[in-house]
Amino acid sequence: MNADRVSSLFWLLLGLITMYGSVQLGLGTLREPGSGFMAFLAGFFISCIAVGIFLQSIIRYRGTPLQIKVLWAGSSWHRSFTIGLLTLGFILALEGLGFFITSFLLLFCLFKGVEKLSWGKAVLIPALTMTISYVVFNILLKSNLPRGIFGF
Amino acid sequence: MDFFANFMAGFSVALEPTNLMFCFLGVFVGTLIGVLPGIGPVGTMAILLPVTYGIAPTTAIIMLAGIYYGAQYGGSTTSILVNIPGEAASVVTCLDGYQMALKGRAGPALGISAFGSFIAGTFGVIGLQLLAPPLVSVALRFGPPEYFSLMILGFVVLTYLAQKSMAKALMMAGVGILLGTIGLDTMTGMPRFTFNIPELLDGVGLAPLAMGLFGISEILLNVEKTVKQELLTTKVKGLFPNLQDWKRSIGAILRGTFSGFFLGILPGGGAVLGSFVSYALEKRISKTPEEFGKGMIEGVAAPEAANNAASQGAFIPLLTLGIPANVVMAILLGALMIHNITPGPMLVKEHPQLFWGVISSMYLGNIMLLVLNLPLIGLWVQLLRVPYALLFPMILYICLIGAYVINNSTMDVTLMFLFGVVGYFLRKFEYEPAPLVLAYVLTPLLETALRQSLILSGGTFGIFVSRPISATCLVLAAALLLSSLLPMIRKKRETLVAEAEDDS
Repeated sequence: MNADRVSSLFWLLLGLITMYGSVQLGLGTLREPGSGFMAFLAGFFISCIAVGIFLQSIIRYRGTPLQIKVLWAGSSWHRSFTIGLLTLGFILALEGLGFFITSFLLLFCLFKGVEKLSWGKAVLIPALTMTISYVVFNILLKSNLPRGIFGF
Repeated sequence: MDFFANFMAGFSVALEPTNLMFCFLGVFVGTLIGVLPGIGPVGTMAILLPVTYGIAPTTAIIMLAGIYYGAQYGGSTTSILVNIPGEAASVVTCLDGYQMALKGRAGPALGISAFGSFIAGTFGVIGLQLLAPPLVSVALRFGPPEYFSLMILGFVVLTYLAQKSMAKALMMAGVGILLGTIGLDTMTGMPRFTFNIPELLDGVGLAPLAMGLFGISEILLNVEKTVKQELLTTKVKGLFPNLQDWKRSIGAILRGTFSGFFLGILPGGGAVLGSFVSYALEKRISKTPEEFGKGMIEGVAAPEAANNAASQGAFIPLLTLGIPANVVMAILLGALMIHNITPGPMLVKEHPQLFWGVISSMYLGNIMLLVLNLPLIGLWVQLLRVPYALLFPMILYICLIGAYVINNSTMDVTLMFLFGVVGYFLRKFEYEPAPLVLAYVLTPLLETALRQSLILSGGTFGIFVSRPISATCLVLAAALLLSSLLPMIRKKRETLVAEAEDDS
């Protein structure tokens, strides 16, 4: 599957939705442009460029097109996927467990689960980081980091 | 007399203890991130943006500026010692710098890089101080149509210089403009594309956007690769270049300074362009061009001087016109606007302390960088040994905490993460995020300029071509766009001709 074709179709869809949404906001007139005017121009521009990229992907087909499967070939994509999932988990647990516990868990999972460091390093480095962060943000800067159900 | 008075006034601001401290912090962090591959000045400035909310605007800009030109110094260290550029503008330094290191001349390479950067940076600041005030008087003739056209020219230049596809860079500019419209319309007060989310009424936010696109996505991409760092194990010695090195380098340094400074002023230009052009220039005029790439000291001196001079020159359009020349300047523009300061022709009148204070701080910053980069080279070498496995979790953590403290809101963290994922896919599909951020930052100015121009003209677009400065900018933009298409047309014609001949 040609990557440029897929991406251009995505952008075309985005551009068309933007143009529709902009009309809902109101385009105004050329004498007095409305709230949707700039967004409509942006959506129109995106749609035109998307068509251009799509046509470019067809015209250049005789060369070496960018295939989707090649984009991830030879890469350890599961590592970035894991890190993405862990970060998402951090965001979801942030308010509930509090900033320091969720950060500690995130760092621990990254050092131990993803990077396979020793237990000592995987516990010590996050613990040290959290201690310094607690002093800097809670005590010195008096930041309002979420405390969670455990109160810190 | 004015120049001298401004010079002294600027120094009185720059020498305030708080400003000195943040200048040092900025150049130190800049050098650090320049040395460490994996994060660049844009991501770092985005991460430190929230830190600037609680300090004075002059101090904030001094620190953020220090990060930018500090990174140019630091980037040369990894280029020379590890053959991996610490940041984009140091790519060219790898070519000859690493070769010099392999020949046991890492010390002179590092030394000439630091001294060349210092000389170029100092000349760059002088140029900034001399050119900025006269340009302000030109900028006062700018009205909404001129601003609009100049920003369009800036977009076109930036996309023209895109490393990959120009069409994709233009697409990113369009998406950036779209993102810039999210939030309350400043003219009518109507919410746009907020989907009833109260946090989006103020827009997406520059810090989450930039941290996501440049910080988080960089981490997600880097962890997929295994980069083997071949750190030179020989001790680095003899940091001071000898007389022969100076004789060969001084011309290259001065030429690099000149070319880098003026290329840095161009919208879309910057340190990267300056370094490439200066290297190509040195190779062109050299009596032994075939030796470039094998350890020519001119190949280190020129690009390092150019990238530093360019980083100073890039401040000119920002401070005088309020137009960022590149994405780093866009972050600085965002930082100024967060502090309710609008850069432009009135900046020097309304905020002279900020204007002259920032410029003067660069003299001090360059001195600090010379001190940091030579005696502390041993420290930077040790830092290079820190594996990425330890670095990236800390960078991720700093991004997360930085995003949260902006507004004490999980929404900003969520947005940063979303843009991180978006940035990851954008880069996979070979879309560069820099035009997106530049367009995003410029959109409020662009939209205001467009709408005001149309109101002024009674609804006709003719106003953009009837005014000379505006027309000139648009003609230049059109010429650049056409010139980028011409090679494609010529190549397509050649391909068609060749195919026709094969068929017959």
